[in-house]
Amino acid sequence: MTDGPAARLPSHPLPPANRPAIVAWLLNPYVQILIGALLASAGEVLLAKGAKAPVSRTLAGPLFWLEPLGSGWTWIGIVSYVLSLLSWLYVLRYVALSVAFPLINVVHVFVPLGAKVFLHETVPPRLWMGITLILVGVLVIARPLMKAEKKL
Amino acid sequence: MTSLAIFFCVACQFFLVGGQLFLKRAMHGTDRPRPKGEVARGLFLGIFLQSLWFFIWLNLLKDNNLSHIFPFEGLNPVLLVLAAWLFLKERMTVDSWIGILLICGGIFLVSAS
Repeated sequence: MTDGPAARLPSHPLPPANRPAIVAWLLNPYVQILIGALLASAGEVLLAKGAKAPVSRTLAGPLFWLEPLGSGWTWIGIVSYVLSLLSWLYVLRYVALSVAFPLINVVHVFVPLGAKVFLHETVPPRLWMGITLILVGVLVIARPLMKAEKKL
Repeated sequence: MTSLAIFFCVACQFFLVGGQLFLKRAMHGTDRPRPKGEVARGLFLGIFLQSLWFFIWLNLLKDNNLSHIFPFEGLNPVLLVLAAWLFLKERMTVDSWIGILLICGGIFLVSAS
């Protein structure tokens, strides 16, 4: 890290209160994790669609890696990713990385489902077992947080 | 899948984790006054590393099925939480380690074919 030996980060602030209920709900960092996960999953599926779209213009030599940018799907995917990044930056203001990151892994539930539904990729039968494991893992991490929120 | 593709799959996970550490460092508690350059520098480094990850990943997607390369993302939670613990000194509980191992196992199962 550029800031030298890591000092213990100060405790996390709470998001601003006294807003209309719906806004407060949307600004809840844990709701933002879910919204960000949906945006990132959509982004991933769109990028896969764009990367596999027929190349409209072949680029010479060292620029070959820019070819997927010729597809509109890639650009919608990028927009979706950027929105999920903004949501993520907001989350990082309030939630510890070691809590937020495991939770954002629900994308690994959404992405295979998206690949199956929208890209018609064949997904092996172990899918459901994996999805269950991820969801159990997310719950194990989220459970103490939900208890803490209730107390507030 | 070629061994080069596997190498890139693993390498880009490290870019992703590094990027996340810088982003967290930059965003953490931005409602308190902080040196101006500090936030900008963290955001720049974080987004730069994430962009490296992004372009490597995009090209891996071009030549491989999403469901084939996705298992490598299973490394992320463990790498990242280890890094947050080591570099950001975040407090870890037994619950969070159990949850992370379940998530990693789940990611491998979801995508292994």
